Amino acid sequence: MENLMKEQIEQLLDYIMKNCLWQFHSRAWDREKQNENILQKTMQVLCDEPVALETPADRCYWVDAICLAKAYQSRFPWLSQMGKPEIKLLMQGLKDRLDYLTIKGSLNLELTDQHY
Amino acid sequence: MPYHEFKCSVCIPERKKHAVVKGPGETLADALPLGYMNTIPGTISERGCAYCGAKHVIGTPMKDVIHLSHGPVGCTYDTWQTKRYISDNDNFQLKYTYATDMKEKHVIFGAEKMLKKNILEAFKAFPKIKRMSIYQTCASALIGDDIEAIARDVMAELPDVDIFVCNSPGFRGPSQSGGHHTINIAWMKDKVGQVEPKITSPHVINYVGEYNIQGDQEVMVDYFKRMGIQVLSTFTGNGSYDELRSMHRAHLNVLECARSAEYICNELRVRYGIPRLDIDGFGFKPLSESLLKIGLFFGIEDRARAIIEEETARWKPELDWYKERLRGKRVCLWPGGSKLWHWAHVIHEEMGVEVVSVYTKFGHQGDMEKGISRCEEGALAIDDPNELEGIEAMETLKPDIIFTGKRPGEVAKKMRVPYLNAHAYHNGPYKGFEGWVRFARDIYNGIYSPIHQLATVDISQDEIPADRGFLTQRLISDEKLGPEITAAPGLRQYTGKYDNLAELRQRKYPVFDAPPAPAEAKPALEAVGA
Repeated sequence: MENLMKEQIEQLLDYIMKNCLWQFHSRAWDREKQNENILQKTMQVLCDEPVALETPADRCYWVDAICLAKAYQSRFPWLSQMGKPEIKLLMQGLKDRLDYLTIKGSLNLELTDQHY
Repeated sequence: MPYHEFKCSVCIPERKKHAVVKGPGETLADALPLGYMNTIPGTISERGCAYCGAKHVIGTPMKDVIHLSHGPVGCTYDTWQTKRYISDNDNFQLKYTYATDMKEKHVIFGAEKMLKKNILEAFKAFPKIKRMSIYQTCASALIGDDIEAIARDVMAELPDVDIFVCNSPGFRGPSQSGGHHTINIAWMKDKVGQVEPKITSPHVINYVGEYNIQGDQEVMVDYFKRMGIQVLSTFTGNGSYDELRSMHRAHLNVLECARSAEYICNELRVRYGIPRLDIDGFGFKPLSESLLKIGLFFGIEDRARAIIEEETARWKPELDWYKERLRGKRVCLWPGGSKLWHWAHVIHEEMGVEVVSVYTKFGHQGDMEKGISRCEEGALAIDDPNELEGIEAMETLKPDIIFTGKRPGEVAKKMRVPYLNAHAYHNGPYKGFEGWVRFARDIYNGIYSPIHQLATVDISQDEIPADRGFLTQRLISDEKLGPEITAAPGLRQYTGKYDNLAELRQRKYPVFDAPPAPAEAKPALEAVGA
């Protein structure tokens, strides 16, 4: 079961790395915000939960989230078989993995630069 | 993802950390080329300088401006017209180049008086132009000329002119990328917020990191206008000086080349709360998704979808004609910066080619993260390669074509490898749906040019085959294709016009009445037609 989830996370991750740009902002603090907000909103869309759209920044995260959710649903039919708790667990695993590759385990020396 | 050591660079061990091969199952956390480092002595880097990065990549595409270099004439002349960033005002910014022509005597006695004389002369010579940018060079920076003070003097004397000073001499950074950074921040600090624009739409964007190479900007702005979006400014291709002073009033920054212009987007986000949306203008799928995202942001996704459907129906059969003939061709994707990630995945998916190598002259590690993520396993990723490494890579990888700039492109041609100009294009624009077909057409023409039958023969020693005739392009490309492809009724070659911008410049755009209400947060997936 654990292996299956790992494999599913890798599939979701591969889509992001191949098709998205938002996860590669130039500084670590930016990447943390991007990963947190876009993946949280993606999870909310997938779980059919309300999404906060109060600020322009929220809307910007949301448009990336909604396109990601649509891509996931069309490419990975196994998602539709999952319940909300499972999706939330999966998305948390995805976020941890993405955070590792783009922030915590990243070899990009510019991530910790204090200025843009 | 092991680091790759070039045989020709064994004597420069520092180079080993600048190239990696994307191995199966390996990730960005296993290896990443170093990038944006000072040039290693002895490598003979082919990068540009920070002055060139500031002036000729970002500053000069502004169309209604006298762009003056304060320095030796070579700085401006040798970098003049290196890119085809055209404009809709008869290419004023490309036609003329200006330099104060500093010489040895000015290094000794100073060049401020001469600078002021030059500024006044330039405004007098072009009385309709009231905006100027002045670029520091190594020579003027080293002698300490106070360009800002001279600019203030002139603006006091001529109240109707405005001058921007860019303090980015060649040595200010390891490559042209240092100049991109400097001019972004300088423009933000000195000019943004000075002009209040007329807002004509409820949906207002800045289009950032777009340089109108052979008309790319005009193609994209056409889509935005068809969606009822006001493009307040373009940073900087075909952009207007005063429009760029009003960037603070946009609702959204739409960013293409993050390498050259993310800095100003980030600053606009921090200072004015304008969000940054990174998009891809290249390729049917990425472009469609980009237009849809912008539409979603403003709650006008139906307008985006209408454009996507119309353009895809018109151009997809032509893209697929080329895809069938480009499938499996080996490509070295060797541009300067952002195109390594804009193109790496989409030329594979939509044109069928195999990207065997990516490189960047001046990209940062972030660009390599994007590029390596998007290319397929086995690709060789190189940061700041020199000519010998490029030659070694071509000999090893045996590509069918190289996408790169003019200088490395000429080297490739001498090795009998066709090249396509990834910086200034061959027959662009390449952005947009039609543009992507033009790109595929140029790749096809590059790979299947009949000239290779002659160019690869050494008449001093090779036997010239006399038993067969000269093969046309089509005979070569279709040799191994079955009739299901060669006679497929749905596929056709490019049918667009030589100049596909003329009609855009005449187009009348729809006027949308009341702004529709923004999309509700729920049901979210219905909004994109899921």
